[in-house]
Amino acid sequence: MDKIENFLKKNFDEYEIYQEKNEYKSISFESNNLKEISAKQSQGFAVRAKRDAKITFSSSSNYDLEKFQSHFLELSNYSIDSNIQFPKKSNSANTIIFNKKDFNISNNYFIDKLKNGIDSIIKKFPNALCDAGFNLAIGQTKLSNSNSLELEIDESLISFFISAQIINGNDMLNIYKYDTSVSNISEEKISLMTESLKEDLSIAQNISSTPKKGCPVIFTPHGLYQTILSPLLISFSGTNLSKNLSSLCDREGEQIFDKKITIYDDPHIDFSPSSRNYDGEGIPTKQNMLIQNGKFISGIYDLKTASESSKKTTGSAGRSLHSTPSPTTSNIVMKNGENNFTNIIKDIDEGILVDHLLGAGQGNELSGDFSANISLGYKIEKGKIVGRVKNTMISGNAFKALSEIEAISSNKESLYGSLFLPFLQTNNVEISS
Amino acid sequence: MNSNYKNIISETLKNQQSKYKEIRIEESISTRINYSGVKRENISINSQLGGSVRSMANGGWGFSSFNDISKAPEKMKESIELAKYNTNPSFEIYKNNPVKVEIKPVIKKDPRSIKLKDKIDLLDHYKDIILSQNLIKGCEIIYGDTERKVIFSDSEGNEIEQNFIHVILRIAANSSDGNELLQSGFSIGSLGDFSVVENLDKDVLGCAKKAQNLIKAPKVSGKETTVILDQILAGVFVHEAFGHLSEADNVYENDRLKEILKLGKKFGNNDLNITDGGKIPELRGSYEYDDEGTPSTKTPLIREGVLVGRLHSKETASKMSEKVTGNARAISFAFPPIVRMTNTIIENGESTKEDIIEDTKEGLYVKNWYGGMTEHEMFTFSSAETYRIENGEIKETLRPVKLSGNLFTTLKNIDGIANDLEINQGGGCGKGGQMPLPVSNGSPHIRINKCLVSSG
Repeated sequence: MDKIENFLKKNFDEYEIYQEKNEYKSISFESNNLKEISAKQSQGFAVRAKRDAKITFSSSSNYDLEKFQSHFLELSNYSIDSNIQFPKKSNSANTIIFNKKDFNISNNYFIDKLKNGIDSIIKKFPNALCDAGFNLAIGQTKLSNSNSLELEIDESLISFFISAQIINGNDMLNIYKYDTSVSNISEEKISLMTESLKEDLSIAQNISSTPKKGCPVIFTPHGLYQTILSPLLISFSGTNLSKNLSSLCDREGEQIFDKKITIYDDPHIDFSPSSRNYDGEGIPTKQNMLIQNGKFISGIYDLKTASESSKKTTGSAGRSLHSTPSPTTSNIVMKNGENNFTNIIKDIDEGILVDHLLGAGQGNELSGDFSANISLGYKIEKGKIVGRVKNTMISGNAFKALSEIEAISSNKESLYGSLFLPFLQTNNVEISS
Repeated sequence: MNSNYKNIISETLKNQQSKYKEIRIEESISTRINYSGVKRENISINSQLGGSVRSMANGGWGFSSFNDISKAPEKMKESIELAKYNTNPSFEIYKNNPVKVEIKPVIKKDPRSIKLKDKIDLLDHYKDIILSQNLIKGCEIIYGDTERKVIFSDSEGNEIEQNFIHVILRIAANSSDGNELLQSGFSIGSLGDFSVVENLDKDVLGCAKKAQNLIKAPKVSGKETTVILDQILAGVFVHEAFGHLSEADNVYENDRLKEILKLGKKFGNNDLNITDGGKIPELRGSYEYDDEGTPSTKTPLIREGVLVGRLHSKETASKMSEKVTGNARAISFAFPPIVRMTNTIIENGESTKEDIIEDTKEGLYVKNWYGGMTEHEMFTFSSAETYRIENGEIKETLRPVKLSGNLFTTLKNIDGIANDLEINQGGGCGKGGQMPLPVSNGSPHIRINKCLVSSG
């Protein structure tokens, strides 16, 4: 990298060099049997450089430095206006995001765990076909810049999933459980997930009649994320705020949502693979309040989108090798309510519990609109979950759905290792079938 | 073939411990130019080099990928060690007559011969067209061209070098009256032809106008209704509603699904014919050899409404005792090949678009795509444009809709197929974390007499 650094010093005013080195391993079972074990190694580097308040970016994984330099100089003729300043090093939090030793656990250990999980499902549901897998990753990034910042960050991730398919006539039922952590997924967690998958399979084998229009709609934590939060968070991104594409522009402090809603972005949760002590530009991270008691507090920004919005970076730059940094959330946490889930549904005569959607995120998300097929949803009758609903669509708007909340549960679940969400009931959504 | 690679490849394949082994080496370089809001946001050139090896032992696979090509021989050892953990019954892999070929890229107008400045000037011009319109808040433009060289070699004696040049362009306009933000866009692409992204002034202006029109357009409320799909959206429909279930890796180890998707079973009306094929020339999903070295083919999937074929890799064909179709594809060296579509087409019928519309009392005319997804027998896809149809006439613009259905009923509900087949090359397909894979989809206008729609 010395050669690249000399080239940058000679031709530019300021620069940043990002280097990435990753190792992956995956062990996957398909249709109840071990299918493939794979290993991957990847590395590469990316450079941003400034001259006359204009910035140039390029990346490479082939380390052909001469070609890289000639491309970079050509690109610098068309560089993009930018006022960002590459940061000096500051102290950061010390959240646990790395565990080296679990990456070296033997393949046989993982194969055993997967086999046991699948066996316990097949024992109860002999006609189920299961896929399951572990994915392991370990990575090192190095970030340095012309403002004498030098960072070396080690990260690790282990994820586990198990899914089961049962086909009955023309009905195909699929249920999926997933968890991830910086270190190994404990045996207890795996058995909890497997048990909950079996419970879901039992209930979901009963197909219920479609609920009537206008019935109460409750979201599981997963359903809440997929249906409502995922389109909502797009409007909090500095990428859209800086271009005036978000309906939240200049509305900080305004009461936009129901008072029961508090959501924040927390990069400092130990063992969550989405946690980070520094962001992708070397800024120390901090907790960012997004919505407090229904008031819009702040969006999330990296250096570029903050500078374009006359704001400060919130330390939210995410990056991958071949793209420029952009603001990303870390762990999204929603404050819980007072009533537990069982209590919330106990007085519901007829309702629907939305868990998984198919086709979410393929419409006009900037407006907060959502619309999708409910691929896994349950019917609630007389306060109990009685079976699965089929061929039903859900649509609405994330802002409207969160403007009037019927109930938020006291119990929360962690999803994908990075979302900590309750169950939620809102009336502002449309069900059709 | 590059002689450095030749030595590494022969050393890598020399190791005799595995029944079947293969190596891929890939070089690529891509230029990307993005606009967002009112200005150019990013322009970059990314170059990549990497390789991977795959080996079979005990009826299963070991796979290893890397950037440092000199490590290939030791990575092969690693992949064989990994493969040995398998304990499945072993199977005979399909063998073709090994070939030693070098396939030159399809080139009509080479994007590499266009100066970076000229590419930027063209895109700046499109951006200006969009921004000059009333009520337009911004644009999204993504241009990309990629040059890819893929070298494949295996223990059967294949030595195949293939070269590809891909061009893609997505243009969208964002409009707003101060309250809501709306978007209209279109995507195009080609194999080796920069000219498809030139001379688009009319389309770009049309895109801005459509975004303006959406502001006043009413939303559709969720219901089951008759829909007429234009060629582009019908192409997305065939990909999502049927294509994915014709991929044999979804079926070959699933006895129930094998029964449901038995060849000879009726899935649609007599005028429904569906084909997929990498052999169909000069489209984005076209190639001579797949990523397992199998020659590409043209595979009839549905003939006169009856399921007659499916898409295979070497493994799925062998395990189902059917013929290989050359559909094992990997998005890059870093992934193992899996069964994928190539160019998927609903063949022409005998009606005309006009007849079909005239014959529709009440329904929606849906055009252009936003996205699509499949989960087993269920699928959804979304339109970018929607118009109301009443008494055989196209009426006002409505907001985009999401359409949803089920393989077993929706294909049978196709009750009109026009004779105006067109192929769209603007799409990319995602499966198993490998996305976006270049594919193309095509269809004439079709009518589905009952389809679940909701406001998109």
